[in-house]
Amino acid sequence: MSGTFGNPEIVEVSTDILIIGGGMAACGAAFEAKRWAGPDTKITLVDKAALDRSGAVAMGLSAINTYLGDQKPEDYVRMVSADLMGITRDDLVYDVGRHVDDTVHLFEEWGLPIWKDKGSEGVALKDGGKPVRSGRWQIMINGEGYKTIVAEAAKKALGIENIIERCFIVKLLLDEKEPNRIAGAVGLSVREHKLYVFKANAVLLVAGGAVNCFRPRSTGEGNGRTWYPVWNAGSTYAMAAEVGAELTMMENRFVPARFKDGYGPVGAWFLLFKSQALNGFGENYVVKNAHMLAEFAPYDKAAVVPTCLRNHAMLHEMKEGRGPIMMDTPSAMKKLAETMTPKEIKHLEAEAWEDFLDMCIGQAGVWAGMNIRPEVTASELMPTEPYLLGSHSGCCGIWVSGPEDVNSPKEWKWGYNRMTTVKGLFTAGDGVGASGHKFSSGSHTEGRIAGKNMVRFVRDHKGHAPVLKGDIKAIAEEIYLPVRNYIEHKDKTTAEDVNPHYILPRMLQMRLQKLMDEYVAGVSTYYNTNKMLLNQGLHLLTMLKEDSKKMRAKDLHELMRAWENYHRIVTAEAHLRHIMFREETRYPGFFYRADFPKLDEANWKCFVNSKIDVATGEWKCFKVPHKDLVEKHYGGQKH
Amino acid sequence: MPTFVHTEKCDGCKGGQVTACMYICPNDLMKLDTARMKAWNQEPDQCWECQCCVKACPQQAIEVRAYQDFVPMGGAVIPMRTDSTIIWTVKFRDGEVKRFKFPVRTTPVGSIDPYTGKPEAKDLDSPLLFTEQGKTLPTI
Repeated sequence: MSGTFGNPEIVEVSTDILIIGGGMAACGAAFEAKRWAGPDTKITLVDKAALDRSGAVAMGLSAINTYLGDQKPEDYVRMVSADLMGITRDDLVYDVGRHVDDTVHLFEEWGLPIWKDKGSEGVALKDGGKPVRSGRWQIMINGEGYKTIVAEAAKKALGIENIIERCFIVKLLLDEKEPNRIAGAVGLSVREHKLYVFKANAVLLVAGGAVNCFRPRSTGEGNGRTWYPVWNAGSTYAMAAEVGAELTMMENRFVPARFKDGYGPVGAWFLLFKSQALNGFGENYVVKNAHMLAEFAPYDKAAVVPTCLRNHAMLHEMKEGRGPIMMDTPSAMKKLAETMTPKEIKHLEAEAWEDFLDMCIGQAGVWAGMNIRPEVTASELMPTEPYLLGSHSGCCGIWVSGPEDVNSPKEWKWGYNRMTTVKGLFTAGDGVGASGHKFSSGSHTEGRIAGKNMVRFVRDHKGHAPVLKGDIKAIAEEIYLPVRNYIEHKDKTTAEDVNPHYILPRMLQMRLQKLMDEYVAGVSTYYNTNKMLLNQGLHLLTMLKEDSKKMRAKDLHELMRAWENYHRIVTAEAHLRHIMFREETRYPGFFYRADFPKLDEANWKCFVNSKIDVATGEWKCFKVPHKDLVEKHYGGQKH
Repeated sequence: MPTFVHTEKCDGCKGGQVTACMYICPNDLMKLDTARMKAWNQEPDQCWECQCCVKACPQQAIEVRAYQDFVPMGGAVIPMRTDSTIIWTVKFRDGEVKRFKFPVRTTPVGSIDPYTGKPEAKDLDSPLLFTEQGKTLPTI
């Protein structure tokens, strides 16, 4: 039977391992799991887009931000912990650190061009080639084709017959017989009138972070020019939360300070070109405001000042009227040029442009449109709208079991590395909380770790036959409700976009963004909020969630948007509730609890976890003790 | 910088149901108008400007036009990609044109053989990944 709009054909697929997502973590999992699984174990990967160009690396990247080389994983753990203000899971971060180089070596073998220092051109990293470092942990690449290369390896490993593209998973399903046990997932095709129902023994949920939960600074066409991929809808966090998986550090967010409007990368400018960011009066605001940062001791004494504290210093200047904040590219290029030949200068200029063209083409468009030549004109910087993610300089996500061979608290390991608190449900990349700074290579690595452990899980639960909880017909009705709403009501008004019976997914998104911006510390309040504002925000969010049942979908594309925005609402609610629970300001520059403006190490040097009771739908936030497994030092002092 | 499609160049990928741009867009934005056999961007304000569709278009019919809510008019950034190289043309508002060429891949497309020559998977209970076999994994 073939389906029609709103009455989809139901396609049932049984698989041993289901991978939800197609980004770096998903590709890593596919590559690793298939090798361990062998021919008898079926692995299915489902991607909302096309694997060659899906996920956060779709456009490309100009650097691999995690490559240890001859450095110790312990030092990587220290850097990550300091940047995230002391609260990370050392076991998870260490685990990425000790495996990540092997993954980068594979990328190079597969065909990713990696820049080499003079004298080791043409020598592979694994054979001792020295990479060009743009920072202590970063190496430069020609990364326009990064994702196509990684995707090719995953496709070859898994076999294209095991990859379903353009299928958007919207809901995970628990097991009917065994409590707190994953059984499968349902997803809609955005190309055909088909609803896919998957039964799986183990599921990997790796659908990226959350973008556009907050009102962006650019609300016209530029709405799409988000810093993180605009298609990351919080699906990872929302779907995990809804089956009762424990989340962690959902109060954490990332507010990158980037080139204004285009949101192009600044890392190479700071680290490779040694450029300085200055306020409108030419002052180095991080140095000038060092005393402000000291209020957040000891983290201000970290080897590299944490990202949020640098933002804190920048925001102070902006609030005090000392903008614009400018990246002084001309001085940096002039200084570099002093010791260079004209040919080398030309090469340097090309490198500066490639930094944008590889990973943020829009920024090159801004420079071209504004006649900005970095050697002549400085460029304005701006902190963006907030993003929720677990792989960059942020650490919200899902609470997972860690590596068994690391000497960590027993509460941090319950059997399978990277398994969530729901049996059989795994995650990686942006999905794993309390362990940021994985970036592309670390996410792929973490996918590999999860992939291997899923095969182990399947081996240990060989006889398990998943039984999906809930009636599939009723679930299909729920998923296609926006289509029903549209068909039933569209002819009742003369213009179908204005109709009292339904809300457009686009309007629902704008309502979410407005309330998150105004009540949950978005850009319009300079990232400030307090308990009363949060309560008002929650009140509005609750009504928005009720109204989400009235979204319309006039086609499959809009149905995808409807469910993406539902995921954004659930993710936003987790973020709001966590911010409300943590009564301190731990990430100044990312957000401020104006009613608790100070860092409170005595009471809040702990994880905040949360969980939805799947029976009642109630959220619960609670403290979980933190422990350092690697000794931390700040300014020579042990902390 | 949402994408736009040059009417004269687009051939709707010669009548296929799914055009190259529809196939590749990570955000499901490109759509085929089957009456005219022309592709178009159905949601320009959700365009990330990744240029995946521009690079994939067999007719070079797609370009991006800068986001008009913050970019002055007149500039353009145009890729020309082969399997090994990408050439970028950057046109400034004031007319200057810069051109850059970068490698995208060191191996032939389709040549990746993920498992040949790699270690067999052996100890499923060890924390080592399969390519790390024989290594001593550090721990804390």
